[in-house]
Amino acid sequence: MVATSKFPQAAKIVKNITRSRSQTVTPAFCPHLENLNEAKPYSEIPGPKPIPILGNTWRLLPIIGQYDVSDVAKLSELFYKEYGKIVKLSGLVGRPDLLFIYDANEIEKIYRQEGPTPFRPSMPCLVRYKSVVRKDFFGDVGGVVGVHGEPWRRFRSTVQKPILQVQTVKKYIEPIENVTNYFIQRMMEMQNDDQEMPSDFDNEIHKWALECIGRVSLDARLGCLDPNLPPDSEPQKIIEAAKYALRNVAILELKFPFWRYFPTSLWTRYVQNMDYFVEICMKHIDAAMERLKSKTVLDEKDLSLVERILANEPDPKTAYILALDLILVGIDTISMAVCSILYQLATRPEQQEKMYQELKRVMPDPNTPLNTKLLDQMDFLKAFVKEVLRVYSTVIGNGRTLQQDTIIHGYRIPKGVQVVFPTLITGSMEEFVSQSNEFIPERWMKKSSSDYKIHPFASLPYGYGARMCLGRRFADLEIQVLLAKLIRSYKLEYHHEPLEYKVTFMYAPDGPLRFKVIKREE
Amino acid sequence: MTAFVRILGYTKPSFSIKTLFRKIYTTAKLNHGEYEWQDPKSPDEVVNITFVTKDGEKVPVKGKVGDNVLYLAHRYKIPMEGACEASLACTTCHVYVKSDHELTPAEEKEEDLLDMAPFLKENSRLGCQIILTKELEGLELELPQATRNFYVDGHTPAPH
Repeated sequence: MVATSKFPQAAKIVKNITRSRSQTVTPAFCPHLENLNEAKPYSEIPGPKPIPILGNTWRLLPIIGQYDVSDVAKLSELFYKEYGKIVKLSGLVGRPDLLFIYDANEIEKIYRQEGPTPFRPSMPCLVRYKSVVRKDFFGDVGGVVGVHGEPWRRFRSTVQKPILQVQTVKKYIEPIENVTNYFIQRMMEMQNDDQEMPSDFDNEIHKWALECIGRVSLDARLGCLDPNLPPDSEPQKIIEAAKYALRNVAILELKFPFWRYFPTSLWTRYVQNMDYFVEICMKHIDAAMERLKSKTVLDEKDLSLVERILANEPDPKTAYILALDLILVGIDTISMAVCSILYQLATRPEQQEKMYQELKRVMPDPNTPLNTKLLDQMDFLKAFVKEVLRVYSTVIGNGRTLQQDTIIHGYRIPKGVQVVFPTLITGSMEEFVSQSNEFIPERWMKKSSSDYKIHPFASLPYGYGARMCLGRRFADLEIQVLLAKLIRSYKLEYHHEPLEYKVTFMYAPDGPLRFKVIKREE
Repeated sequence: MTAFVRILGYTKPSFSIKTLFRKIYTTAKLNHGEYEWQDPKSPDEVVNITFVTKDGEKVPVKGKVGDNVLYLAHRYKIPMEGACEASLACTTCHVYVKSDHELTPAEEKEEDLLDMAPFLKENSRLGCQIILTKELEGLELELPQATRNFYVDGHTPAPH
């Protein structure tokens, strides 16, 4: 089948204008026409045999792309090279089989077949915390991460409008810009004698992401960017908790999964940590509730995200739990993506120059406050981000647990199998993306996109459909604001050994990000 | 652990912001479909549109200014799904604009999603992004063969 791909700007007006390449599209997927009984049996799917020699290696595999300890990115690529477009990994200890699909057409088919409540397996630790350890608190309001079926749908339905809607997100341009301006000011103070960032600069980026997500999900400035925080101050404790929660999840889930059977000390610490997050969320949401009570509201549009949720759901639990989920998944994902994007910018001076020229054109005065109209004009900036996420997708894959027997690639797959969509690999397959090995941001720009083929399901860093990343608009916004402010006024350089990309928690450059940051002359 | 003493001792707030809030609830754009269930208050508000089902049947619908086409379709049992509830995350409310009406051009996020719609045509739009205005009187919207391959065999999606 021919991929429906980007169409030119002209097609924006609905009438009488041809959407260029979409004319030829005839989806060739009709699973109901494929007879389940005629499909090849599941057992025939190629894949490494679960033999003793490989034994424990498998235990180190991720559940679904987000957490892993070994170099799964490379492993996933090896699987494809060795076995082809569908690879089964069976014999996992205490886990359903993993099925890797390296085919954008099949991925499209699966996404399109999802029912109203797709099952997205993730974070067993968090699932246990919510559903067992603190069952009394969470009850049937589990949130969105690690929750499935009707409880998931109910929660998502309550929160997704305010959080994904462009009108709400727009209101956060200014607050995020304020956080970002302060962060950039801090960056200048961090410079060493060579104008370079310290070797733990990634930690500073984490703090920026934490401050941004706090502003969005708690309506509060947490103060995490302040230098010299006393160790017992709230911001410092939040920073430590965030660091711990995210980094140790990989260890808990993959290396020492014994907490499943009895509480290990690492597990106890994890629970304490989560309790602290819940406490922080409650504290700030309660404060927001108090403010809302005394606020004269004329229009729903004047409310913040938290206030909109509190106004529509008088039980503040929804807001507590949403904030908790947003904080847990919104720090590492965004900050690692930013690390990766900044590294790519610093090592691609010509493209950085293009971005700078665009920003200079859009904002002749570098101190112009950002707004939607300005952001909308930053085509190259957005295309650059998309291209980084295609080639170096921060989250290496997405996945679903099949809710019914399904035919994939001619095989009959029983329900319950975890299907993995390795977007990092499919986004770089020549079959789906032309000149896939080259870094070309322009392929995402409407005016030049007709020169390049991109299968719409090949590179999906945020997923698709009813379970698409809930934080997507905020992630995009935070990244855009940081790049717009930073690159408009500063030049990034990198003068050290090239860094390798690795999956530690996310797929990102592994090593100190000692960028040289040079103020641009006006 | 103090956090959970509080959690366990949680009591509902003594007032309901929701009731307070309803009074100031004015915008059609931000609703969850309640607005579309209200009948037009005056003939000035009426916007007549027609849905064409995938079997070619024409279903006239009396909408009003400010109605979101997706929720209007739900009200009149037009099989338009809307899996993501107008949050611009899917393409299950994909429609073709059959008449010559000039719609507000799709914004980038809608365009990006339309790229992923099956049976995409030059007149494709997402139903959830069409808000009725007086100018759209007579608008004709055709449902595609399928918004997901799943429904090609005659299964009718139910809005949820």
